[in-house]
Amino acid sequence: MEQKIKQIMADVLNLDAQSIDEATVKDHTESWDSLNHINLVMAFEQEFQVSFDVTEIESMLSYSDILEVLDRKVQN
Amino acid sequence: MKLSTQTQANARDAFVAAKQNGDTYRAIHAARELLHGEGGVRQMSFLVRELETATNWRVPLNSLKVALLSSFSIEFAQPALVAYGFLNGLDIRIYRGGFGQFRQEIIDPSSGLYACAPDVVVLAVEGSDWIPALYGQFLEYWEMGFEALIEQTCEETSGLLRKLRSRSSAAVLVHNLAPPVSRQAGILDGQKQIGQAQWVHRLNEGLAAVCRQTESAYVVDYAGVVARFGVERWYDERMRMYARAPIAADQLPHLAVEYLKYFRALRGLAKKCVVVDLDNTLWGGVLGEDGLHGIQLGSEYPGSAFVAFQKELLNLHRRGVLLAIASKNNSADVEEVFAQNKNMVLERKHFASLQIHWKPKSESIMAIAQELNIGLEHIVFVDDNPVECEEISQALPMLSVICLSGQPERYSHALLQDGLFDSLTISSEDLRRGELYKQRDQAEALRADSDSLEQFYRSLEMEVTITPVEKASLARAAQLTQKTNQFNATTFRYTEADLSARICKTDWLLATVSVRDRFGDTGIVGFMMAQANGKKLNIDSFLLSCRVIGRTVETAMLAYLCDQATRQGLNELTGRIIPTAKNSPVRELYGQHGFNKSSETESGESFWKLALEDHRVAWPDWIKICVTDSARPRP
Repeated sequence: MEQKIKQIMADVLNLDAQSIDEATVKDHTESWDSLNHINLVMAFEQEFQVSFDVTEIESMLSYSDILEVLDRKVQN
Repeated sequence: MKLSTQTQANARDAFVAAKQNGDTYRAIHAARELLHGEGGVRQMSFLVRELETATNWRVPLNSLKVALLSSFSIEFAQPALVAYGFLNGLDIRIYRGGFGQFRQEIIDPSSGLYACAPDVVVLAVEGSDWIPALYGQFLEYWEMGFEALIEQTCEETSGLLRKLRSRSSAAVLVHNLAPPVSRQAGILDGQKQIGQAQWVHRLNEGLAAVCRQTESAYVVDYAGVVARFGVERWYDERMRMYARAPIAADQLPHLAVEYLKYFRALRGLAKKCVVVDLDNTLWGGVLGEDGLHGIQLGSEYPGSAFVAFQKELLNLHRRGVLLAIASKNNSADVEEVFAQNKNMVLERKHFASLQIHWKPKSESIMAIAQELNIGLEHIVFVDDNPVECEEISQALPMLSVICLSGQPERYSHALLQDGLFDSLTISSEDLRRGELYKQRDQAEALRADSDSLEQFYRSLEMEVTITPVEKASLARAAQLTQKTNQFNATTFRYTEADLSARICKTDWLLATVSVRDRFGDTGIVGFMMAQANGKKLNIDSFLLSCRVIGRTVETAMLAYLCDQATRQGLNELTGRIIPTAKNSPVRELYGQHGFNKSSETESGESFWKLALEDHRVAWPDWIKICVTDSARPRP
């Protein structure tokens, strides 16, 4: 799953998938603006067939956050 | 429908490679594969970014500047617009007006809208943003009525369009309004008085009238699009609240496809001709096998589905679209269908061109384009056979190819859903039949020469398995001899008993042929039977199901026979062609493979021979061959 998350982030945010790790956070990533944040959320929903509520959307502000939220979601 | 990750990865690589070579059509083909189905955000992000850095397309894209004015966050639709624009050969550049400032952008002469000099302006305003009184506040205004409000809105629109037109000659696309998601009055709505949805319809009529008064202003039937895909799925209330982006991510491509109908029409890219296959396209079954009255066409399913499809094609014809046929059939058989099958809706006269023969379909289409004097990029090709569709896609990548699959009741939808034939002008010429168009100068047609044919065969990833006939395959082998008419050298009909009697004889060789390719497994589709006599191996039966004609499977079969003959110490292979009304496709089989004609009778029967020491038939190297003895498989 980590691989897939990184690849999706790479596609949407124009990053190198290899370079994505715990240090990858919204605040410090130039391409991760509010527009792309929504695009990222939409992409995860499509690729993982899940649906996030607004609280989750607002909490997914880094690679680690995303991993945590998706982990929880996909198990259920 | 989601593509497997492997196919998507292949499509990506194919796109990147095509982009590097500047190969426009192959890139479009790959992009279409990538977006096939959902056209997800992820793939579109990738595509759009790649397109930004693409500078050396050999066939240049048609540039189109689009200004998007909206009452909501329409930026989320931009990637879809650019991506689907590319699929249509358009390079779409977008100017987006300030959020919710569609009025200001139009009214202010120094706005970014006019500065960017757009070709098309899209006015995408949600009903609930423009006239909240008709939506969320309906019950408050109910008593007062809405006539005044509607008139006011139409006046405002009219004014905006006038201002816009006075400063720009851009075409204008105006969304009409989708009815509210739910009726505020519930089931009472519309019963005693005009209801919510009905008021919206009236407003939409008013908007349409206003657009008619303005040059090059058109209504986008947004209400229709939302209805088609279902209002329940269309809106994402969560994103509407959170990001002012009311349209669900999954639905954005549908909006893009709708806009593209207009953009195509405005740029003269509408399709002008449909080239159809016959078997399993205009009727069910195969004419050459099932005969004139055996094809499925009539009042019962599936024949009724094919009748319905023919009616849709007739409608297209009435709209001024040219119809043509490209089919591998005997033209005499087809003439019979037109003359005698009462269930045919389409008549011979509806078709501007008929290419009915056994040569590759890419040749047919090029002939049609030449005959009708239209560019290949204006042609839509429709066929049920994925192999034919692939051949055409590779040889003539600028065509639109619609591969019909499975259910004939879905054919009309497949043909019409993207509005490929839609135009924005109707002249009396359009409504008349048989209009010819001038050909465009730039033609990037690849000839279907031997190099690209070989490439095509290779791309099929064919695997051919040749096995001696055994008990399990006896029934199928006998059936093939009884049913195969077209690619059958001698048309001898055999029963299971006939074949069974020969299996155990050492001088007889019987083998079945199965084919698997990229598109699936066809099962047992070929049969050969030969008898050794002295130093010769005499081919008694050689046949292939029409499904796999034209793919060099017969070459593999002959190579097998050469091998078998040599293994048995024989030095000559002989064959015989008995011509029938149906087997024109097989007449040149032996000649094309290096056999010499040793004699010919008055009735047209020909005898052929191949001296194996001089010449053998080589295995086609684009096919993976699997030859099995009953005991040991040997690759």
